[in-house]
Amino acid sequence: MADFLANMTSGSEDQNQDLLAHVLLPVAHEEDALATATALEPYAPERVTALHVVEKGEGVPDKTPVEQSEEIAAESYAAVRAVFPDADEHTAYARDIVGAILDAADEVDASAIAYRARGGNRLMQFLSGDLSLKLVTESDRPVIALPRGDTAE
Amino acid sequence: MSDEELAKDLGLVSAMTIGIGTMIGAGIFVLPGVAANTAGPVVVVSFVVGGLIAMVNALSVSELGTAMPKAGGGYFYINKALGPMFGSIAGMGDWMGLAFASAFYCIGFGQYLAEFVPLPEIAFLSPIQIGALFAGLIFVAVNYIGAKETGGVQTVIVFILLSILTVFAIAGFASFDYATLAGEDGLAPFGTNAILPATALVFVSFLGYAKIATVAEELKNPGRNLPIAIIGSVGIVTVIYAILVTTMLGVIPWPDLSLDAPVAQAAEVSFPASISLPGPLPTIGGVAAAAGAVMTVGALLATASSANASILASARINFAMGRDKIVTNWLNEIHPNYATPYRSILVTGALIIVFIAALGRDIEILAKAASVLHLIVYALMNVALIVFREADVPEYDPDFTVPLYPITPILGAVLSLGLVAFMDAIEIALSGGFVVAALVWYFLYARNKTPQQGVLSEYIRSREDELPDQVVGAADAVAPDGNDGPTIMVALSNPRTESSLITLAGALAKHEGGRVLATHIVTVPDQTSLETASENREQLDTASEKLLTAAKADAGEFDVPIETKTILSHRGFEEVFDAARSNDADTVVMGYGGARFAGGRAEGTLDELTHDLPCDFLVLDGQDLDLSDVLVPTAGGRSSDLSAEIARALRDTLGVDVSLLHVVDEGEEASGREFLTEWGTDHQLGDAEMLVETGDVETAIEQMGEGYSLVIIGATERGLLSRIVRGSLVFDTIDRLETPVLLTERPTARSLWERLFGRR
Repeated sequence: MADFLANMTSGSEDQNQDLLAHVLLPVAHEEDALATATALEPYAPERVTALHVVEKGEGVPDKTPVEQSEEIAAESYAAVRAVFPDADEHTAYARDIVGAILDAADEVDASAIAYRARGGNRLMQFLSGDLSLKLVTESDRPVIALPRGDTAE
Repeated sequence: MSDEELAKDLGLVSAMTIGIGTMIGAGIFVLPGVAANTAGPVVVVSFVVGGLIAMVNALSVSELGTAMPKAGGGYFYINKALGPMFGSIAGMGDWMGLAFASAFYCIGFGQYLAEFVPLPEIAFLSPIQIGALFAGLIFVAVNYIGAKETGGVQTVIVFILLSILTVFAIAGFASFDYATLAGEDGLAPFGTNAILPATALVFVSFLGYAKIATVAEELKNPGRNLPIAIIGSVGIVTVIYAILVTTMLGVIPWPDLSLDAPVAQAAEVSFPASISLPGPLPTIGGVAAAAGAVMTVGALLATASSANASILASARINFAMGRDKIVTNWLNEIHPNYATPYRSILVTGALIIVFIAALGRDIEILAKAASVLHLIVYALMNVALIVFREADVPEYDPDFTVPLYPITPILGAVLSLGLVAFMDAIEIALSGGFVVAALVWYFLYARNKTPQQGVLSEYIRSREDELPDQVVGAADAVAPDGNDGPTIMVALSNPRTESSLITLAGALAKHEGGRVLATHIVTVPDQTSLETASENREQLDTASEKLLTAAKADAGEFDVPIETKTILSHRGFEEVFDAARSNDADTVVMGYGGARFAGGRAEGTLDELTHDLPCDFLVLDGQDLDLSDVLVPTAGGRSSDLSAEIARALRDTLGVDVSLLHVVDEGEEASGREFLTEWGTDHQLGDAEMLVETGDVETAIEQMGEGYSLVIIGATERGLLSRIVRGSLVFDTIDRLETPVLLTERPTARSLWERLFGRR
């Protein structure tokens, strides 16, 4: 189904790819999902797929039980749907979050990845591996950094 | 691959390193000195005995773990089997046990750290405690941030440790001297009576294996890998302990073995001070000191990984307890940035810090308190295993089963509690305090929150007649009352039947003090994807909303809480079952048309489904209900019990007149009347009109039924619903009767498990 729709958009005679034809929206949790989706809303994307990457240990126990991670994913999708009622969802399981985002973008054939930087100070960004930097440097398709707005986290 | 498989990424090696990594830190690096001091060289036997006790329990954990690969481990099994009261004890025991164990590992870390760097003595804290507090804070911080790097390191640490220890064993073997081992006073200077108290002390070195079960849901192929990892890691560490402790005691006489850093000391003695290389190469000095230093680093790594794994495991237990509402889910909130269960980690961390500061001067207390609490959990776990087997819950289907049942679990429980007897009063009192605290917590907080009920209490309550009153009374007294009344789910599909179905559900909910859950299940043809269907949701929404708003209004008349839900599904009828399960419904009310709708599709699955009802089912044939009087034909039985409940609810909430009908053969009217009167009284329908008819049952129901506004018929045998669904039910009564008919079916005890465990 996802492919079918994607083909309809990209296959139409003007190959003039619309940046917002199909936006992949990685979200971390309910609050983040709502804020991210709200930030994207004014630009009226044609199609949105919400992505939640369940962080896996791949060889070591996860930080959180899988069951809990999946609950968080479900909450996040619901939050995205509060803004984009027809948003699709996609769940990935990986240790490498950025890698999983890029794979997912491939898989759903997204026209762009839109995300909201997580913030945090330098030390924290260093410790959690600066995701923003990795995402923009490693992506093979447009990456849209959404404004963070005033939401305090 | 399904999502579920994607989420499983721990192989056998990873699972084993969790077990070995947790256990080895304590046994080898921390305890040998202290333990040798209490028992002499026979302490090796103490380690082996500890290993055997752990092994018996490991077998039971393996069976439970393969039956229920769920986050939470021991707590989870006990809560399911024995109910939330014991669940609270187990959860508290597991949690506090891990906190004590972590404090113990931190002290071990502090002991070796103090070898390296001089630590100050502050106030009432010894230098070792300072080191331990420092370590504790670091471990908590690392888990709080959830730095990924720590994870990968665990496997590496375990392999480094095993290599270091192998080298040490070889070097130690070279300088091994039996005379040193035997010492001046023989192998058992304190007599063989000292063996078991020493086992009690060193048992903390075996506390790692059950942690594998707490991450069972992440294991690949848990049916195979879980038992191998659990049993294997216990076997491996027991052998390692036996060899290395023997080596240490053969290198250094036991009275001289260091209490704080035995391995570093033994390594310094085992390795020669310098190695002379052949020819012109220079002599390498300082080998012994270097070996001691390497051992110290190894010890720091080992204790760190033990503590780390324990903190993580405790968060899992908190999560499982939160899921059952035994603790508030506040504890399990995930940090928005680090995606860690930070509150749980902080609370556990605070406990660890307190234990280190308050009790850290005596490492024995920490070690034994951790063991006592874990042993209590192990004993309960063995009882849980027996309950699962005896209650004969068919869905309890472990891939691995303990050998020699029931000897193994009984032995496990006896050995676990037996070992507690060799602990000192202070640790037993401390642990007892936590057990009491858990009980107080259960009765004050958890009891009216948790919806869970154990298999045991269901078993007792379902055999009310066969078991002594005291037992049933006791089970009732401690049973949870958190589930304030039942959930009555209504599966709506047709606006014309909405009001009748809601009326029935509302009356039932009001009578039982429950709530109504009105669902609109929208069947989407297989050809249409759910996404497309949701694109048409505007139309759908309007239809659904109308239906559900009407439902709300109708339920409002009964003044019962109502929730509404629209569910898109490819599988109309089966979805009813799924929804009933996932919403923990106690009763499902649906229309006959809705059930017939599914006719013909996937009979195999339907058979399976309908033979295994998740809860009571009420199927209404007829659109308009104008309830004034109901007829309940009965011949006794499970589903008639349900019919009686419905009749009672209608009588009490709507003032409906109830008539009971019993059909007998010619000439048996007297005994029939007797039966009916008794049945009516038993079901609190003594005031109903009692009708005894003779002749053909169906004809009688038909004739009598005409005069009533509703006939409630209980399924006389299992599978009634499946026959309705497939349209093979030859029940002319329903077709011929103008009066609406409510068919009731109550599941047999078989599907109890499903209510407890949800869908598997």
